[in-house]
Amino acid sequence: MVWSWIPGNLGLIGQLTRQNAYIGIVSAVVGLVIAVPLGIASARWRWLYPPVLSAANVIYALPSLALFVALIDYTGLSDITVIIPLTLFSLVVILPNVVDGLRSVPDDVRQAATAMGFGPLRRLVQVELPLAAPVIIAGTRVATVSSISLVSVGQLIGVGGLGYLFTDGLDRDFPTEIYVGLILIIVLALACDLLLVLARRLLTPWQRGGPDGDAAAAGLTSPAVRAEPPPRAAPAALHGSTP
Amino acid sequence: MAAFRGATFAEGIAVIIFEYVTKRYPGGTLAVDDLSLEVPDGKIMILVGPSGCGKTTTLRMVNRLVEPTGGRILLDGRDVAQAHPVALRRGIGYVVQQTGLFPHRTVEDNIATVPLLNGWRRATARARARELMDLVGLDGALARRYPQQLSGGQQQRVGVARALAADPPVLLMDEPFSAVDPIIRSSLQDELIRLQAGLRKTVVLVTHDVEEAIKVGDLVAVYRPGGHLAQVGTPERLLAFPADDYVEAFIGFDRGIRRLSFFPAGGLDLGLEAVLGEQDTVAEAMQVAKSVGQPWVLVIDPERKPLGWAATAQLELLPGERALSGVPLTGYGHTFRPGADSLRAALDATVLSRTGQAIGVDEEGRVLGVTSFDRLRTAIRAAEEAEAEEAEAEEAEAEEAEAGAGPVPGETRA
Repeated sequence: MVWSWIPGNLGLIGQLTRQNAYIGIVSAVVGLVIAVPLGIASARWRWLYPPVLSAANVIYALPSLALFVALIDYTGLSDITVIIPLTLFSLVVILPNVVDGLRSVPDDVRQAATAMGFGPLRRLVQVELPLAAPVIIAGTRVATVSSISLVSVGQLIGVGGLGYLFTDGLDRDFPTEIYVGLILIIVLALACDLLLVLARRLLTPWQRGGPDGDAAAAGLTSPAVRAEPPPRAAPAALHGSTP
Repeated sequence: MAAFRGATFAEGIAVIIFEYVTKRYPGGTLAVDDLSLEVPDGKIMILVGPSGCGKTTTLRMVNRLVEPTGGRILLDGRDVAQAHPVALRRGIGYVVQQTGLFPHRTVEDNIATVPLLNGWRRATARARARELMDLVGLDGALARRYPQQLSGGQQQRVGVARALAADPPVLLMDEPFSAVDPIIRSSLQDELIRLQAGLRKTVVLVTHDVEEAIKVGDLVAVYRPGGHLAQVGTPERLLAFPADDYVEAFIGFDRGIRRLSFFPAGGLDLGLEAVLGEQDTVAEAMQVAKSVGQPWVLVIDPERKPLGWAATAQLELLPGERALSGVPLTGYGHTFRPGADSLRAALDATVLSRTGQAIGVDEEGRVLGVTSFDRLRTAIRAAEEAEAEEAEAEEAEAEEAEAGAGPVPGETRA
């Protein structure tokens, strides 16, 4: 580890970090923005979900390098060329969570909402999406972290954020660069994850301290008065085990 | 059919009318079959029956959560099928067993749901929510809690408060108290009766619990499997005159005792022959016991409060001049109040009493007299005769009304 390399290259490191963050976050956000309406449609029209899920899995199975190469003809060696595949990967990760989150909304709650006089759109926005939010955010966390680390693969076409430090470090046989790239990617991913955890806390105040998609998210209620947060649910609850 | 007379109420305007309503599901299952029923204004109509008999389907057709495949439902004279479902539902309170509370909204925001949907300002809606919390007996400190932090009974109260928030004239309740334990259930039932006395909503309540139906209902509609009505009538009428073996079996075999709840104990003739003061002597007590021909006398204090029973078997062993204040007495168990209690309470006190006699007291606890099984028998027979006469009169009246008004939707082909 050559520490002196770092102060001398702060400008480069900063620029690469920004690019990495930009590409990773934009991919996750666009993935989320597409996954939500697609998930709503898939939850609403059940026949739609199996083909959508299969298509998504096929996309997920594609090697990212093949996608980059295929896209170069259309979008060139730009950020977009990396963002499009990463967006697709994020979409594939988030979509099932949107569907499972919406399906985990308890029937009695959905029916009560209808019986209170919520129209379909209002019920979706004010009842179903908020209740699905913890599960959707859980998926978004996974998508964000993996997008940020996958950006480095883009270095194969020259747009790789901190991935540049890996190839450059290898070429020059200079491990310091590689370590710095690795640590910064991890830090970046953890920082984004932390932001999403905070966002979930703010957006879902009824779930005090519970993990994503826990019993409270599924609307399970206990007849006993609870002074403490509901017990932690198994990770299976992430996939919307409807009672 | 005479059994259905109870469905047409002379007083009050019927606000919910089912006319030949049928619901057949796409698979061919017949949930409700040609149902005609009137729910009178301001009354509690209980739909009771075994599971799968169509009672919940009936309820859910009122606010169009389920659409009938035949017939129509009139709410305040208007066909609900013509109403916009969302507008219709905002005018109908709805309470379900699993509460259906929104886990992501605080108690006050849950209660304020319909006012907020109707465009009230948040502060106004929350103020209304606080009023309702007070009305249903919820501590205002719970307003900012989330539903899952409340007990089952409290959640159910929130459910009722939410249904009442926009002051709808009609309340639909689907097994509202089934998920809570029996003690909480009983207190919620009492609460509903208390609320209803002030609110006078038209309530349709679905339950599978006959006790609940008889306790809470002004009218009870008994379903039989297959979506048919077996009988509609007041709880008293169902207990006294079940339409057929099915209703009788469904109501339970202790209906003879349960219907006594509807007869006031005031009609009971109470005896004072074997009641003595504590200053009276053992010899006097023995003489009284002999003359009335029973082995017990009741001893009371100067304020006429009961002290206990003196048994002749013990009095025999004591000197005749001793005052009754100095003899061992047997406890008198629980008393009843002829002015307030039913014949069922009087019977219960009598059965539990070691002497086979129960003490009727006034509101100050002063002895009015004692029962006996013979006296109870006489009172029950008199109450039954009065009821039968009343039933005949009502029937004659209904027939007259029918002759004038044409077909009555309360009739049904069972």
